[in-house]
Amino acid sequence: MSWTTYWIILGVCVCSILIFRTLPYVLLSGHTLPAGIQDGLELVPVAAFAALVANDLFSPARIASGLWPTLLPLLASVPVVVVALKTRSLVACVVVGVVVFAALSAIA
Amino acid sequence: MQRTASHNADVAVVIKVALPVALGYVPLGLAAGIMSAKVGMDAFQTFLLGFLMYSGSGQFMIANLSMAGAGVFSVCVSTSMVSARQMLYASAFTRFFDTVPKPLSLWFFATVTDESFGVNLMRFQSGRWGPWRATGVNVTCQLSWALSTLVGALIGEAFDLPTTVASFAMTSIFVCLLMMQRFSVDKVVAAASAVLGVILCKTFGPSDMAILVGAVFGIVVGMLYRSRVEVDRGVEGRGEGR
Repeated sequence: MSWTTYWIILGVCVCSILIFRTLPYVLLSGHTLPAGIQDGLELVPVAAFAALVANDLFSPARIASGLWPTLLPLLASVPVVVVALKTRSLVACVVVGVVVFAALSAIA
Repeated sequence: MQRTASHNADVAVVIKVALPVALGYVPLGLAAGIMSAKVGMDAFQTFLLGFLMYSGSGQFMIANLSMAGAGVFSVCVSTSMVSARQMLYASAFTRFFDTVPKPLSLWFFATVTDESFGVNLMRFQSGRWGPWRATGVNVTCQLSWALSTLVGALIGEAFDLPTTVASFAMTSIFVCLLMMQRFSVDKVVAAASAVLGVILCKTFGPSDMAILVGAVFGIVVGMLYRSRVEVDRGVEGRGEGR
């Protein structure tokens, strides 16, 4: 990657993500939001995390490459759900998730 | 003296809260650094990108597309589309920053990620959380990420980390953060719709936008469901899900 290419990519991608991260605050701060919008914002965490989980677990590329690659992440997330509900600990979830995922990958 | 004591307590709390996310960033940051080295970035370039952009999905996207031979324009557009979901997080945090000085607020908002959004928002909602602590959590995670990408770039191709295993660390964090939410019927509807939105978007639509499209779809369907329930019950049910 040439320096020019690198600087263009760095400049554009850093600027765009900083705008996305700060613009809503700059625009909305100090204003009272309509009740409808506030209701919608309450749904942001569940909707965003559900979308992030789905994005990680569902992959057309893995489905095309076979049943096991498709099932593996789904199976590995089952114990993570159990651990999350029982312990509410991010650390425990990461450890269990990675260990189970690695073990399942190894037996395949 | 007391001030020092409370300051130390703050630092301890920040580190305790940030630790799971910061540790999760290590394997993934290493992997991102290794991939960045593969597409020809040196250690400094990788670190700078990791520190300033501070986005795992974004950095992987840049490396993947560059490896596939995509042009500069397409790399920039795709990566920016992946970043667009950050607007949702910023909107959700804004009400906690109405009285916070602007420089601190901007520092906080500039360093929000998927994972730190989760751990900070839950604590803001419980009331015992402030802008300094929240920013401390963000910056701790940011340093962990940027340094991990730096080390990854230095190791380079000498060491091949299984990216799929490393990225499942983040998947586990998202699963955990989802499970820790307080669910009511409207939230279940929103989550299920978000999943459906992601699947449809990745199957038929622009997959770079899947997270944002899915999340917005979930929010809209959840709100529609709420308004229908309110119509059925009269106005009373409003705000119950809190």
